[in-house]
Amino acid sequence: MPLIRIDGDDLVVVIEGLDKLWSFKGSLTIPLANVRGATADPGIASEPKGIRAPGSRVPGVITAGTFHQDGEKVFWDVRDPSKAVVIELADERYARLVLQVDDPRATVALVENALA
Amino acid sequence: MRAAVGLFGGRAYDGVSVDDLVTHLGVHRNSLYKTFGSKRGLYLIALRRHLADDVRPLLDALAGESDAAAALRLITSADLGLLLLAAIERAPVDEEVASEVTAALTAVDQAIADALGVPADMATALTAAALGILLRGNPDNAVNALAQRLVPLT
Repeated sequence: MPLIRIDGDDLVVVIEGLDKLWSFKGSLTIPLANVRGATADPGIASEPKGIRAPGSRVPGVITAGTFHQDGEKVFWDVRDPSKAVVIELADERYARLVLQVDDPRATVALVENALA
Repeated sequence: MRAAVGLFGGRAYDGVSVDDLVTHLGVHRNSLYKTFGSKRGLYLIALRRHLADDVRPLLDALAGESDAAAALRLITSADLGLLLLAAIERAPVDEEVASEVTAALTAVDQAIADALGVPADMATALTAAALGILLRGNPDNAVNALAQRLVPLT
């Protein structure tokens, strides 16, 4: 499961354990200026995700890595969709991040308050 | 956007899921995120729309009303669902919501003060009473009782 923290003016996402392998990614650092908002969204996992490259997807088990859809790149690291948080970005390689977190409500508050 | 105003005005913020928004607004999930950034971003725009569409006309109507009972009835019959929910639920945890709500309520106070020619603190008390009556859902009897006591004031 990815860990999300605010480090100065950056949002830092650390991918942990084997998910590093599945997602081909160790961590992401994004300036808060390029973060538009965060939303708890359990329903997003049931939508089409596009084509993955590179990454892994075992339906019902894990969605991890970079997915391409409608000309956008979306980074996923989700096993349990009920805990998915969507972080919308601007002027970044990824249009948005879809991450599973321990406490979606707390993560949304953390990110939104950092933007305020 | 009116659909979003209706959704957010009808139930708790956490009770409105992104699935609900996607379904009722008829937009794709990705474009919802692209356009508004987050559910909160959409909520803020819906709240401002509510203030423009529902509270602004109330202020205009109040401006033309010099009768206390009629002014109170304008408030108790207005569609203020999202404003009230925002005041109770979101303003305590969201500064931007809090400042929108405070500005809107202050504007209502000011409209009452100007229309009825009462002092600012009395106007604030009247707005509070009218919103309370709206919440209690017993507009007419309570408004009449209050208005009778107001005659000497105005």
